Formats: sequence, structure tokens, C-alpha cells
Amino acid sequence: MNRLADDPHTVKEDPMKPPRMALTLVIFTCLLLFGAADALAAAPKAAFDPDKMADMSDFDPNNPVIPTGDTIKIAVVASFSGPAAVVGQIYFISVQWAAHDINKRGGIMVDGKRKKIEVIKANHASTPAETKKVAERMVLQEKVHVLWGTDGSHLMKVINQVADKYKVIAQTTAALSDELYDETSFSRYSFMSSFSTDQIGRAAAYHYGKVRKKEKKFYILGQDYLFGHSLADGFKKGLKEYYPEAELVGEDYHPLFMKDFAPYLQKVKASGAEVIFTGDWIPDAENLLVQARQMGVTLPFANIFLDEPNMLHRVGVDGTTGLVHVSQYGSEGGFFKTPGQIKAYKAWNTLWKTKWGPPYNTRLYEHGTGNIGSYIQQTYWLLSVMERAGSTDPEKIIKVWESDSYQLLNGKVLTMRACDHKVIQDLHVEEYVAPAKQRESFNIAPYFWYEGTASVGPTVMVPAKSVLPKMDRALARCKDKSEAGE
Amino acid sequence: MDPTTAMYVAQGVHGLAYGMLLFLVASGLTMVFGMMGILNIAHASFFMLSAYFSYQVLAVFGSFWLALLVAPVVAAAFGVLCERLLLRRVHAFGHMGELILTVGISLVILEGVKVFWGTESLPIHVPTILEGRLALGGLDYPVYRLFVIGLALVVLGLLAALLYTTRLGTVVRAAVSDAGMVNALGVNVPLVFMLVFGTGTWLAGVAGVVIAPILTVYPGLADQMGMDAFVVVVTGGLGSLWGAFLVSIILGELNSYGVQFVSQLAPVLMFVFMAIVLAFRPMGLFGERE
Repeated sequence: MNRLADDPHTVKEDPMKPPRMALTLVIFTCLLLFGAADALAAAPKAAFDPDKMADMSDFDPNNPVIPTGDTIKIAVVASFSGPAAVVGQIYFISVQWAAHDINKRGGIMVDGKRKKIEVIKANHASTPAETKKVAERMVLQEKVHVLWGTDGSHLMKVINQVADKYKVIAQTTAALSDELYDETSFSRYSFMSSFSTDQIGRAAAYHYGKVRKKEKKFYILGQDYLFGHSLADGFKKGLKEYYPEAELVGEDYHPLFMKDFAPYLQKVKASGAEVIFTGDWIPDAENLLVQARQMGVTLPFANIFLDEPNMLHRVGVDGTTGLVHVSQYGSEGGFFKTPGQIKAYKAWNTLWKTKWGPPYNTRLYEHGTGNIGSYIQQTYWLLSVMERAGSTDPEKIIKVWESDSYQLLNGKVLTMRACDHKVIQDLHVEEYVAPAKQRESFNIAPYFWYEGTASVGPTVMVPAKSVLPKMDRALARCKDKSEAGE
Repeated sequence: MDPTTAMYVAQGVHGLAYGMLLFLVASGLTMVFGMMGILNIAHASFFMLSAYFSYQVLAVFGSFWLALLVAPVVAAAFGVLCERLLLRRVHAFGHMGELILTVGISLVILEGVKVFWGTESLPIHVPTILEGRLALGGLDYPVYRLFVIGLALVVLGLLAALLYTTRLGTVVRAAVSDAGMVNALGVNVPLVFMLVFGTGTWLAGVAGVVIAPILTVYPGLADQMGMDAFVVVVTGGLGSLWGAFLVSIILGELNSYGVQFVSQLAPVLMFVFMAIVLAFRPMGLFGERE
């Protein structure tokens, strides 16, 4: 507040008369009441404007228009081969969508000239060794400006190490472990624009303890590696914070790519649990859900990856009703609130219906919202930062991105905490309901997300101040900072 | 039955069901690996291929039973072609050639399924008649898993009958023991081996079809079952059907009760068991050669 009040520009450029001064005081008081995080969220430094979107009717992910020459190069480091190739496809279409839009607008002004965005696929083949090799090749041979990634925190860690070594910007959009930005792993060249494990776990606990106040017995069933444990720790921490009367009736961790969940589900059955909390991703997520329903375990799962439409269709409406999903791209009280949001949604959905071929014409890509929507918007944020930095120089990008705030298409504001490069943001907890009830969320025709499965219905916003990202106090940069980053 | 007893009994049946699934995959592998001496790394890929074929049959005809009939036969046909056109040519050069070739075949199958069916998971439902659960004395158990147990027992019976009561079975076992002598007696040994390889891939195919409603059908399916099947074959003894059967059940039960009592250690119990068995019997429980 003092900083703003002392700002000489404010006084010189717009001397305030007494009534306006009083109004200003009222506004400042409100800002104080709502807290610093809310104040940041209320005044984003930049925003995605759907009215400025280019005509996207020629966008085709199978035949992308890739500019050459003096471009801004973004390497999407992901699985583009093997069993996890679908992940690379999702990332590529998301980043390429944002790049195509910006390119059709003429690119962005950096280093004294307008430059277009060149997206390069960098296949890490899901191994740390290959990740290091391909990330280094991207930096040294392709001279990319940004390493964008990726599926797996252990792989993102490698990307961040390469970014740190060669002083190149890295953007963490899909790896979620908090440990990536702790004292031992932090790199000032890497920015986490996604939510993180601690936030997700606490948001789920907040939902059950502060909003729903119904179920009390929880069972944690997760994958036995850093991410699964980190997510569970967040949930347990959240239960202590927001739901002390809750009971953890069981906790199990299974190996990745589990085949038979029956023994675990038998324990869940016997435990008397009312909710299963899990961070499992496909294929484990699908096998867990399908086998649970086959065994007559009808409990709701609270999760972040049980939203893949093909998997949901496999167990149908009955098997998916009641699922609880923590989202970083949700929206309370109807997903579509402005004409711009509808326009942007339809631009994607129309192309999906009419133009794209396999694999992009499948159900997975129908809506361009959810995780895909989040990846697209995170990419727009990166490009906005570069534009405002007016440079591809990492130091100038860092200067702008630290403490930056950006409003997404759905109205949500992301604020980059300067000391550890994690995002302060509201999260949303979505309850899955039958198609007839989905209009509460999908509030335009045809008023449902999917016909053959439950999907997003009632959505609750978890305020950013209740799920501030975990901060490692051992990180020297954060030593004297509050969790709001001040 | 009180709930606690029901839980322990259910864990036992879960172990049996998973063991039977494992046996269906491993029985084909042990036949090929043990009887023909072929190191078929692509075995689990044929298992995956059959799961994809079953999806296709279901998509076109809508019948799980037709899929169970057709998909393993088509997978076996692919297996026979691979043996006749590729493996037979490198067999004389030893295991290294077979190893590299079968790794190559598995990669071709992996990329092939991605080209034809994409990278997304494909849904296969439990047939209507096998949906639901059976309530027996406090035990509430999925009918489909009971079907898997029954089917595996039928397959075991058929294989045992074929190998130990028919003339063809005698020829197969003799050819495995001394191919040169059997050849000299006028038996077409390459044809016998091709039949064995085809039967092995057919068994993998049956496993692929029955596992599809339980597991996700996606390009990583082969990796999920391959390792476990190799552990079964090595621990049970190369070429031993009974060894594969017994070890499959033991591994299934170790997994189930491991999860129940020592959850964190459950994934390594099968390897501990394998290490103990091989320490005392390097040829496996029922194996005759190392």
C-alpha cells in the first residue's frame, strides 16, 4: 500500500480531488480486507483477449504451418513415441494452437522486430537420459528460446537442469511435483505455470471439509513414486487444515502400470471408506476405475486425472457420477460467461467436428478445455511475457515473469510468485453429474459435455489464499517472504 | 462368513484369478521358450495384438464370443508367419539373432497398433452375461473373474491332453528332446515347431482377449504383462506347463496377500520368490535344463 501511495507518477499524472481520494481509500481498505493474493488476482498485469484472436479456420494439427527463419523457438519436450505418444500429441496441439494464433496476428515484437513462433517437437521417449540428450540438442543445435514440458516430474527435473546449465527459459506446464522448485532443484530459468501437488491435495481436502461437509472417511490410493506421495502429503496436510474431524481409514501406494487392483480395492471395501483419493494417471487411472466398478466398489474418487473422456465412457454414466475432480482450468457457475469465451470455444470445437483427422478428431480433443485449455492458456502467458519483455533474452523474461499476473480466457488469474516461480491461483473442484445435469457447467447448447458419461457439473472455487503453493523455506530467495510471495 | 474372513477369502480368489491370467500368457511363452529354445521377446506383443483384434471384432460384430474365437486365431496366424518367414532363418545363429529379431517384431507390432488404432485407450466391455457379481456365503465376487479362472483351467486341460495323450503331443515332446532323430524318422520337424509356435501365440491371444475387459487396451499393454510372464516361465522351468501353472498361482497369491499384509513390499515378493527358487533349482521348479 505504501509503495502505491508513494508512487510519484500517480500524484503527478492524476491529482486526486477529495471525493476521489475517499473512494481510493475505500478501495485500499477493501484490498486489505481481501488479502494480498486477492489484490494481485484482481488486477492482472495482462490478459488473454479472445476478441483479438485470429481467424483459426485454417488450423490443422496434422498439417501445422511452421514458420522458419528468424523465429521465437519453443521446443515441446514430451513423449512423441511409444505408449505415451498421446501425451505429446496433446501438448503439441495446445502449443501449436497458441502459436498459430499469434503468428496469424503477425507474431510478437521482440529484439526490435516482429517474430513468429516456431514450435518444435522434441521427443524425450519417457527416459531421463533421452530427455537430457534431446533438451541439450534443442538448446545447442536448434537454439530454442524455451523448453516447454512435460509428462513426469523426474523428466521435468532434467529439463530444468539443462535450462539452468545453458541459461534458457523452461516452462513447467504439466509436471506437478512441488519438489521441482525446492532448495535443491530450483532454477531461476524455470517457471512453473501449472498448479502443484500440494495445492491439488489441499484443494480436495478444502472441498470436503469446508464446502461439502458430508463424507468423513478417506482412503488414499496412489502411485508409488515422488508424485503420488507428494500429492497424498498435500491431501493429508489439507485434511489437518480444513477437515480435522476427517478420518484417514487407509493409505496404499501401488507400482506404476499396475495390472490387478483387486487386492487394493478389497482393502478399500473393508475399510469403510467413503471417498478414495488418488492421483493415478492413465493407464492406472482407467484400470483402477474400471476394476473398482466391476468389483462393486461404487465409491467416488477424488482425483485430478480421471477426466479422460474415453475412460469415462467405458464405465458409463452410473460408474462416473459422483467423481470429484480438482481442476486448474475450471469455472464456477457455468463455463461460458462471455461472448469471447463462446467464440474461442467454438473456434476449436468447429474445427474438431469438421476438419481435423486422426488422432485429433477423437473424443479426447472435442472440447479444447480442461487440461488442453490450460496448456493453451499457459502458452499464451509465456508469449505475453516475452512480448512485454520485448526480448528473447532470458534475463529480461525473468524480470517480467517474476511477480507477473495474467488473466486466462476463463477469467482466472495466475500470479507468478517471484521467489520460487510457482503460481498463485484459485482452483476449482468439480463434481461429475449425469448429462442432463451438466448444463450447470456447460451452459450453452447442447448443454452437456458428453452424452455417454457423467462429466463436470457443480463447480466450487477454492480461493487462492487457501491453496497457496508450498514454499520451501530452505530456498534462500524465499527466506523472508510470506506464502503470498511478499 | 464374517466380513474379515470374507475379505481374506476374496483376496485368495483375487490371487487365483490374476494367477490364471498370468498362466494364460505364460503358458504360450513357456511352450515356445522351453520346447523350441526360442527367446521370443515379442510374445507379449502378440498378446497385445490379439486384444486389439478383439476390439476390432467387437466393433464390427458386437460379439465378445466371436472375438474370443477369432482374435487369438488371427494373432496365431501372425505368429506362424513370423516363425516361418523370419525366425526360422535366424534360429541356426543362436539366441542373439532371435533376441534382436523378436525385439524388432515387438517394435513393429507396437508401431503398427498405433498406426491402425491410435494411441488412445480402447474400451472393451465385459459381455452382458458375465456382468455383475456372485454372492456366495458373504463373498461378493465379479462373475467375469470367475469366468477367467474357469477358462484358464479349460485351456490347461486341453493343452495337457494334447501334449500327453495324443500322438502329436508325443511327436512334439520328442522333437523338443531330439529334433534330428525325429526328423530322421520321417516327421516334418519344422512343421511341428511351426505348430508349437502358432499354439503359443494362440494362447497369448486368448489371454489378450480375456484380459481386455479388465485392463486398458493401449500400446503399453504388452509391457505390462511381459515381465511377469518371463518370471513365471523362468521360475516354473523352461517348457514346463505344470511349472507355469503352479508358479502363476503362487505369484497371484503372493501379490494378493502381499498387498493385504505388507503392501509396500508386495511388488517385490515375486522377484524374491524367483530368486529363492533359482538359488536352489537353477532350472526352475519343474525344469529339466538350465
